[in-house]
Amino acid sequence: MAELLRANILADLAYYRRSRLLLAFMLLFLLLTGLGSLPPLFANSGIQSFNALQDIFSELNGFLLVLCAGLGLFIISSHLRSRSLKMVFTKPCPPALWLLSAFLSAVIVSLLLNLVVLVSTTILSVIWHVPVRQGLIFVSGETFAASIGLIAYLMLLATLVHPAVAAVSALIFNADLFYEFQVWTQASIRSGNSSPWLRALEKLFHGLYILFPMLEPFGKKTAQIHNSLRVMHGEWKFLLYSLIYALTLSAFCYCLALFALQRKKHI
Amino acid sequence: MFGGNVIIAEDLHVRFRTGLFRREVRALNGLSLEVRHGDFFALVGQNGAGKSTAMYCFLGLLKPTSGRVRISGQIPDLGSRLYEKVAYLPEEPHYHLYLTVEEATRYYASLYGKRVSDKKINETLERLGLAQFKHLSLSKCSKGMKQKVGIAQCLIHEPQVLFLDEPTRGLDPLAVREFRETLREIHQRGATIVMNSHVLSEIEMLANRVAIIESGKVVVQDDLRNLLTLNQELYTVSFEANGHVPNYLSSIERAGNVVKGSISKDKLYEFMEFARDSSLHLHECSLKRNSLEDSFFKIVKGGELASASEAMEAAPVAGEHQS
Repeated sequence: MAELLRANILADLAYYRRSRLLLAFMLLFLLLTGLGSLPPLFANSGIQSFNALQDIFSELNGFLLVLCAGLGLFIISSHLRSRSLKMVFTKPCPPALWLLSAFLSAVIVSLLLNLVVLVSTTILSVIWHVPVRQGLIFVSGETFAASIGLIAYLMLLATLVHPAVAAVSALIFNADLFYEFQVWTQASIRSGNSSPWLRALEKLFHGLYILFPMLEPFGKKTAQIHNSLRVMHGEWKFLLYSLIYALTLSAFCYCLALFALQRKKHI
Repeated sequence: MFGGNVIIAEDLHVRFRTGLFRREVRALNGLSLEVRHGDFFALVGQNGAGKSTAMYCFLGLLKPTSGRVRISGQIPDLGSRLYEKVAYLPEEPHYHLYLTVEEATRYYASLYGKRVSDKKINETLERLGLAQFKHLSLSKCSKGMKQKVGIAQCLIHEPQVLFLDEPTRGLDPLAVREFRETLREIHQRGATIVMNSHVLSEIEMLANRVAIIESGKVVVQDDLRNLLTLNQELYTVSFEANGHVPNYLSSIERAGNVVKGSISKDKLYEFMEFARDSSLHLHECSLKRNSLEDSFFKIVKGGELASASEAMEAAPVAGEHQS
């Protein structure tokens, strides 16, 4: 089993390394981030430098999430569409193991990219004489946890539908959308509209909000950390909670994706 | 329970819908066959007859709409331990195109759960003439080279059951010959081989059993030697004529006083008596062999003629109903 995992992960890492689409995407974003970091070079106050650093860090983390979603999506869809899984499943390599390898390889790449962002931001802090804060580690950890969940979710969608439909679905149908709907229905109820339909709708949106993956399940509690890049005593537990949430979500998505893969009529 | 059968397919049906109007396509239509242990079994048929679909069903890559398949007594469950002794060479190069020749060979070999030594990988690549291209990406390889990579991954673990879908497609003549020899070796070692091919001469050289598939079902499944003597009642005789030539001799060719012709089976003993009585100098008397191509056309075209005549017979009945 270890040999199978190793072989599949190495093959998947080669895929990521040679995927021109992912490479182009990465270069484009790095270019945009590079251009964005030019103005702070001319900043003459510590606050301006801190704000610029925070912007760049936040942008890079946002980019990481999109890229990691792409990793999960492409690794499944490209193999399914090229029908290369015929070569894998006609050997003693079960779909469960192949799927796990695909997930782990995407997580490894995500971890490496997170480390690159963290190290780069730390170096920028030193260059711009901004104190290196613990919040950088916290936010990086939280981004990594979110990227794990996102990878698993996109992998699930890629086993079910065309990659374009999967990407659009992930963009539109997420917890944030249903949270906004829930807030809107709650506001309507508070303003005097007590229709039972509206109450049912509010419950439905709440259910969907819980059901759909959240990028930042403890976003309200950690917003301050994102702003100040400071972590108070007792706030580290939210990083652990985020990780537990991401792993639970991943396990759920993995089981569903495996079920979908095994139910496919034609590999 | 399964006796000496490695593969049993019973009444396989594969139907799917395609196109805007969801037209139903019947890829397999009650296909049944048995492949015995140690067989070199060839699936023969026209394009679209259902050969590759049948192979996908045997391998578990396609779930049949109805019917059942057993490989060594087990339902083919993708990725299970059943595949430890199975190798598959697909018709289309459905490989991991982003890997190099060497990486792909190593990867496919590793999927059997054992690490393969560099020496073995290099030997296999060398044997197939791929050594100089080992760092070339599969996406840049020709079809023949990709096919060789597929062959390499089939050979590396000495499989007991081999599924080959159009294995020599895209290969150069030298590689075809070498591959044929390799297949013979593997077969002689006791492996069971199931092969799809359009190249009937190749099947004639390699296979011992053949199934002819037509419109998604097996129309004939028999030993190759029986197919080569299909409905054969003719013997070729060649002798030095010393005057009289029997009138039941047909397709006569003469070269000097040597006569060559064909006689039917029921006249064989009569001819033998004639030869003895006339003290003929007999050069040859052998069962006339067909090529597999002849038998294939006879069966497929015979089937078409039979269905055409059935339709002709059915037509007046339909006419009666209309009147």
